[in-house]
Amino acid sequence: MELLGIFKDVGSAASAVECLLREGFVEAQITSLTLVPYPDGVLVKTNQRTLFRWFTLACGIIGAGVGFILAAGTAWVYPVQTGDKPIIAFYPTGIVTYELTMLFFMVGTVVGMFLEMKLPNRAHRPYDAAITEGCIGISLSIHPGGEPVACEPGALPTECIGGIALLPAAEQKERAEEIMNDAGALRITTEVQP
Amino acid sequence: MSEHTIHPKSASRMNDEMLSSLKPPTLRWYGLAFLLGAVVAWGIYAFSYMVTTDMSCTGLDRPVMWGVFIVNFVFWIGLSHSGTMVSAILRLSQANWRRPILRAAEAMTVFTVAVGGLFPLIHLGRNWVFFYLIPYPNQRGLWPNFRSPLLWDAMAITTYIIGSSLFLYLGMLPDLAVARDRAHGWRLKLYTVLAMGWRGTAREWVVYQQASTLMAALIIPVAVSVHSIVAWDFAVTVVPGWHSTIFPPYFVIGAIHSGVAAVITLMIVIRKAFHLEEYLTPLHFDNMGKLQLVITLLWSYAYFVEVQTTWYAHEPIEWEVYSFMAHKYTFILLLMLFGNSILPIIVLCFKRLRRSIPVMLAITLLINVGMFIERFLIIVPSLSHKNMPFVWGTYFPSWVELSITAGAFAGFALMYTLFAKTFPMVAMTDVHEYESQKALMLLGRTRVPSLVGKE
Amino acid sequence: MEKITSPYKWGMVIDLDRCTGCGACVVACQAENNVAICAKKEINEGRNMHWLRIERFWVGEYPDVRGRFLPVLCQHCHDAPCEPVCPVYASYHNPDGLNGQVYNRCVGTRYCGNNCPYAVRVFNFYDHEHAWPKPLDNQLSPDITVRSRGVMEKCTFCIQRIRRAKEEAKGEGRLIRDGEVQPACAQTCPSEALVFGNMADPASRAARLARSPRRFRLLEHLGTHPSVYYLKGGGREHV
Repeated sequence: MELLGIFKDVGSAASAVECLLREGFVEAQITSLTLVPYPDGVLVKTNQRTLFRWFTLACGIIGAGVGFILAAGTAWVYPVQTGDKPIIAFYPTGIVTYELTMLFFMVGTVVGMFLEMKLPNRAHRPYDAAITEGCIGISLSIHPGGEPVACEPGALPTECIGGIALLPAAEQKERAEEIMNDAGALRITTEVQP
Repeated sequence: MSEHTIHPKSASRMNDEMLSSLKPPTLRWYGLAFLLGAVVAWGIYAFSYMVTTDMSCTGLDRPVMWGVFIVNFVFWIGLSHSGTMVSAILRLSQANWRRPILRAAEAMTVFTVAVGGLFPLIHLGRNWVFFYLIPYPNQRGLWPNFRSPLLWDAMAITTYIIGSSLFLYLGMLPDLAVARDRAHGWRLKLYTVLAMGWRGTAREWVVYQQASTLMAALIIPVAVSVHSIVAWDFAVTVVPGWHSTIFPPYFVIGAIHSGVAAVITLMIVIRKAFHLEEYLTPLHFDNMGKLQLVITLLWSYAYFVEVQTTWYAHEPIEWEVYSFMAHKYTFILLLMLFGNSILPIIVLCFKRLRRSIPVMLAITLLINVGMFIERFLIIVPSLSHKNMPFVWGTYFPSWVELSITAGAFAGFALMYTLFAKTFPMVAMTDVHEYESQKALMLLGRTRVPSLVGKE
Repeated sequence: MEKITSPYKWGMVIDLDRCTGCGACVVACQAENNVAICAKKEINEGRNMHWLRIERFWVGEYPDVRGRFLPVLCQHCHDAPCEPVCPVYASYHNPDGLNGQVYNRCVGTRYCGNNCPYAVRVFNFYDHEHAWPKPLDNQLSPDITVRSRGVMEKCTFCIQRIRRAKEEAKGEGRLIRDGEVQPACAQTCPSEALVFGNMADPASRAARLARSPRRFRLLEHLGTHPSVYYLKGGGREHV
């Protein structure tokens, strides 16, 4: 279940996040939906580390291989003499390899970015068109409830959900809604994920 | 705190203004689109005439086997440069004034490279077998020759067109979400698909910003390589006047020269057409003018170096090309020097002239006329007076070549117009981000704007 | 990838002191190779199809003027600038040292034509495929194609003759003898100014002539290493 509160400005949204954290919800459950990027910590704290650049690098290396095979490999299996140039010529091979490396780098960047963002996502997630009009959305994913979620070894303190998970989902939701309303939410929408 | 947060209403109003280009087209727009479409249709007619009859309808002959088609190719690929380059460099250097310009520049790149990429195919003697140039296994036992600069061109342009389209799309992703949230009907469907379900979560922004920076860093070396390769088409030959080591950097500078000018021209057109006076202010023209001035100086330097080395060496075959050019094409040579170098250097030194929209329009148009001439003067005189005086020739473009050229200009304008009607023409998210970071700070006796944000 | 080697390196020697500029070679080439017959208009436009041209220069001051003739055909360079620039291998180097031109492959980028310093490549700007009105089409040689429009063509040293001679020699289990094969131009030349032969055989007539102190090659400074040698005596005439 995901709860989305819409706030008019950064101030009220930030205070809602603080109250939610004080209630026992954790950073990993809360994210902000905004029109513009805010520095980390203005609204929520997220993991700043990304992995997609390794994917980009891998694509680039594959691209270099493809380029080399395309220029040098095919010339080697299909040798035609032209103008006393070597069959596998250094500069042309370099140029073609370079271009294909860059092509794969760029495609890899965009594909990797979408993979890391987990987009496109066909699931129906709570959203409000007011966000692109400048409002701030604070989204809280609520644990199904009823049992405490144990912190797995190695997990950051912000990742494991503590006592709040003991409560039934409905009560968690009620408390969160109350906090958001107190902080000045314009409206709150919920989406039950199947 | 409240002073540097966005007021929802103001963000909304900004969206209204920046998305005004997406309003239903007026009758005048249809008129313009029809006119451009007609010119494109005429260009297509001229091309089909050439394909169905033969190439004798061009002005080409022996020895001038490349003419206006290749001039167009170099010119359009040159134009495509700045779009992405300027945008990427400004992104990386975090120049805040870049924000409203980005989209116009990036879109220009995609469409100019699309138009430019057609010309090598248009100019083929047997266009109908253009696929012989594509490396794919086939029963004819054909394979392209990667030692030919034309194959490097094909590789570079493919890379560049895909790269710059991705760059444009990447920059547009959050804006597409904005457009999606306001759209109905077919537009809603289109933007929903293209926005990929973007919501603007904190995590999405983290990844997005890193990807944008990486992409900007990747596209710059590609842009440099593309025009270097176009220059190598000429520089690697043994044709006097073409065989010159300065060509690749000189072509890159020339490309940026014409590209920056074209970005400024398009900024003026977009500003006027979509009433974006508040977003494209004289400040932007001032800054772009400074950039243009630097590039003009660089270009003039490169041109001077190229001519003076040839003049001093006075190698007879090479010098013949230059003196032929100066005699036969005196007028356009002077026009080029005046429009590309002398006039911009003088005018762009003055802040008031840089901030004057009509002056900037005139200067940037003149620069591009000059750059078209420059490409003509590189290609045609060298071929006209090659090594064997017995087969010297001349060249004048025919109606077919001129019609296809006109069709290319109209085709670019048409694609750009359609794009502007379909997609947000101002990088809204970038503008919003800037607004959200701006704050008025008390300093001494007055309030001055300050910026918050990452270092 | 294996290196294909050949006992032949075809070449030609053109003695300019013997050339009278009669033009028989041009006509012979035209007849042998299905070279399109061009109208006055085409020639005026610079679109003539001659594979071999005779350049005429006037040397000296009146009244001491002398006409000099320079037959120029494809130089079959060993370092040919036209070959590597072709994106589709239509222009390539064959093991016999000839610049091959594959008409079927040519897409007509005309890059080779630009990069040929000798300007000996001709492009079919016009549709010449039907340029032979009946009954002239009966004179077309069946050994070579009639090139379509949009295709580059040039002198091949009459490769069809070389092929035939090679096959005959192969049937008899020997190499082609010196003088056994000649392109149409050399065969026709009344003053024997054009001599064709195997440069790889130092005893061939062409190879012997090419060692003459009178020899030079066209635009030698470009480093194209042409297979065509010109002979010219010293003296006041300079070409």
